[in-house]
Amino acid sequence: MEQTSRQKTGKILLTIGRIVLAGIFLAAAFGKLKPLAGMPWTVASVKTSLAMFAMGVDSFQILPAWAVSPLAHFLPFFEIVLAIWLLSGFALRVSSLLSTLAICVFIYAMFSAWHRGLAINCGCFGQGGAPIGLWDLTRDAVLFLPLSLAIFIGSIFMRRSKRVESATPVAQHTTA
Amino acid sequence: MRFVRTRKEGEMDRRSKPGLFARKPGSGFRISVVLIAILCAVSKLPATPQTTLRAPGKSYGVSTAPIKMEVYSDYQCPYCRAFYDQTLTQVIRYYVPSGKVYLVHHDFPMPMHKYSGEAARWANACAEVGQFEAAETALYDNQDAWGSDGDIAKYIAAAMPASDFKRVEAIMKQGAMPAPQAHFPSADPMTGIVHPCPVDPYIAQDIRLGYKISTPGTPAFVVTYKGHTFAPVYFAVSWPVLKQLFDTLLQQ
Repeated sequence: MEQTSRQKTGKILLTIGRIVLAGIFLAAAFGKLKPLAGMPWTVASVKTSLAMFAMGVDSFQILPAWAVSPLAHFLPFFEIVLAIWLLSGFALRVSSLLSTLAICVFIYAMFSAWHRGLAINCGCFGQGGAPIGLWDLTRDAVLFLPLSLAIFIGSIFMRRSKRVESATPVAQHTTA
Repeated sequence: MRFVRTRKEGEMDRRSKPGLFARKPGSGFRISVVLIAILCAVSKLPATPQTTLRAPGKSYGVSTAPIKMEVYSDYQCPYCRAFYDQTLTQVIRYYVPSGKVYLVHHDFPMPMHKYSGEAARWANACAEVGQFEAAETALYDNQDAWGSDGDIAKYIAAAMPASDFKRVEAIMKQGAMPAPQAHFPSADPMTGIVHPCPVDPYIAQDIRLGYKISTPGTPAFVVTYKGHTFAPVYFAVSWPVLKQLFDTLLQQ
């Protein structure tokens, strides 16, 4: 059962893509969790970073106040889990679909803030930095979203080709 | 690190130019140390000598509190009023009296608000006579009213004893409009002020501080915990979220 060169290239591209996407999610999680203002890495300093990130989430003025903190505490760990999941390659269709959905939500939140004229930092890779602008929207919509979508579509194709491969010898055997 | 590098550089010089330090071995090294000491001393000096003004009491609580929150606001800005009403009043009520938070007000009057500079003047003049809290509350509570006709004095007068108001009025009478406003980061806030009020330098200093944290507007605030200053926040934060940050910091 030899793989065609096209399949091999697809597999390599898919691997590179999911490593890059996992790296983006890990960088985003690290930016949110890293201790602020030169504080050491302790549970308390990570909690402080999460509380600061909660202020960033609150700044979007999308969620009710009670939902801000739970989301701020959930999101960085969700990104870490998603990154590890993408790296593992296990059930890639599901992990890449989740990544795509997450990126879509991020784009929506950023566009909504930008559209309402909120001069806030996106908080994607930690607090601080310039207010949300076209660069942030372009980065997510033109780089991250297509990458995630490509992995999702690629994973479907890879699965289909695997199915076809595994089905072909069985058919030959039965006809013989 | 710098010391070792310079020494190595000195040795390299000696190798490349044998005649340069031939008379007294080690003199080049000594000169380098003296030069570095001079450079270090010069680098510690500020580029332009600036004196920090003793601002009047525009703060709540004790300066020794573990958390310091510096707020940049504009009395005519509706977001600042909402931030004051919904969040800062809670800080003042629950965290300032217990000595947990030291809340400092900085003026950042925006040019799109016609009376913001004048309101800042009133607040600073009231701070000079120890009536800042009363003035701030009066300004925010009646923002819509004085924001439309510019009659700030009426509400300030109602917020404090007549004797204090007379002293405030005496300060205010020394200046005339326009008052300092945050036009551009590069522009001196005192430019164009023909008849400055004695409190104008305080407002100008606050505006400069606001530009130092690159605030794009108001409200903005900076939280410092035991010497660790966090990234500036350029928006109004709801009370539960800010409370959580304070509680997290105080638990450390």
